[in-house]
Amino acid sequence: MFERGKKDDGTDEGADFRSAAPKRSAEQSSAGAAGLSGECAVIGRSIEINGDVHGNEDLRIEGDVSGTVELRNSNLTIGKEGKVRADVYAKSITVDGTTEGDLYASERIVVHISAHVRGNITAPKVGIEEGAKFKGTIEMDQDAVEKALGKANMKAAKPGERPVARPGEPKIAQKDLVREAASGTGPQAGAR
Amino acid sequence: MGRATARAPIELPALLNAPLFRQLVGQLDGASRRIVLDLGAASTPMLSLLGRSRCRVEIADLADEGGIDRLNSEAPANELVALAASLLPEHQSGEAVDLAFCWDLLNYLKPHAISVLMSAVAARGRQGMLAHALIVYSERTMPGRPGRYVPTEDLKLLDRAIPAAIIAAPRYSPEFLGSNLGKFAIEHARLLGNGMQEFVFRLH
Repeated sequence: MFERGKKDDGTDEGADFRSAAPKRSAEQSSAGAAGLSGECAVIGRSIEINGDVHGNEDLRIEGDVSGTVELRNSNLTIGKEGKVRADVYAKSITVDGTTEGDLYASERIVVHISAHVRGNITAPKVGIEEGAKFKGTIEMDQDAVEKALGKANMKAAKPGERPVARPGEPKIAQKDLVREAASGTGPQAGAR
Repeated sequence: MGRATARAPIELPALLNAPLFRQLVGQLDGASRRIVLDLGAASTPMLSLLGRSRCRVEIADLADEGGIDRLNSEAPANELVALAASLLPEHQSGEAVDLAFCWDLLNYLKPHAISVLMSAVAARGRQGMLAHALIVYSERTMPGRPGRYVPTEDLKLLDRAIPAAIIAAPRYSPEFLGSNLGKFAIEHARLLGNGMQEFVFRLH
């Protein structure tokens, strides 16, 4: 359950949390500093945003963002230089930098060793690398996660827009989470 | 809490068999929602274990940012009470805590700090909540900073702490703990193979 594992297809799941992070975003680490990217939007380290950030593509934040970050169906990476003082909603969130606010993800949240997170985490799957700074609450109860995400979507959705978690959409079942944990795959396995 | 006496790395037990811990987490079923307060740092193995059940986990990470030293200070009682409450995560949901993991943190707190901290924990708990703790009992010394315990697949505890200077252990007795835990009382106690005493406290 807690050991490095192989995925069902025989590939190595990896020993650390980088395997759980969205791969495309991870590949953009060097591009982040330049503020330019091919497939992943980047808020560069010299950019400061006070307000709400919305979008439908993967985003990497290396700058300073205050307000709300909402990427309903996309992946967000907060890079090592990134400072986010905001409530964040995304499909998955990977934190290498600093966040102050609540993090909501419909799939998973991964907090790496360089991260400093103050706030609450709500996601069906959560991984916190040993040594990461985190103080707050972690909500993993599937029912509570869905309820919180529903509320968050309602709060964040603009009039006429659909919420993220629509009835009938595939959901990550608790049993799948347990199966992944038991098999040693998934973000909760193999911190070291 | 005590004075450092040496810098030599000490040998830590590879695995700690803690039956009361195993019993507690074994009682976390998948049907009932539980609120768990972890006074230590977040770890993925612990989250993975608690993720099997319907848990909300509150992470205090007391050893971070000098929390232990601040609690051990000689500040006025009312300030310490406020400090202890502030060191715990914000309690927004209003749901009462069912289970707290103290790990070995109490060894690093002075008696008055133990009382203050456990009172703050009790203020968040439901009647009957349980708290688990590991107290250095047989040995006269202990590592200079708290351990980083993570559960293994077979529910033993692995201490991943970096070796530190050793210091004198307070060796709190069951009698002492029984009279310094506020509304908590000792429910179970068991001497472990490494000389630690494992406790489960119950909030009355």
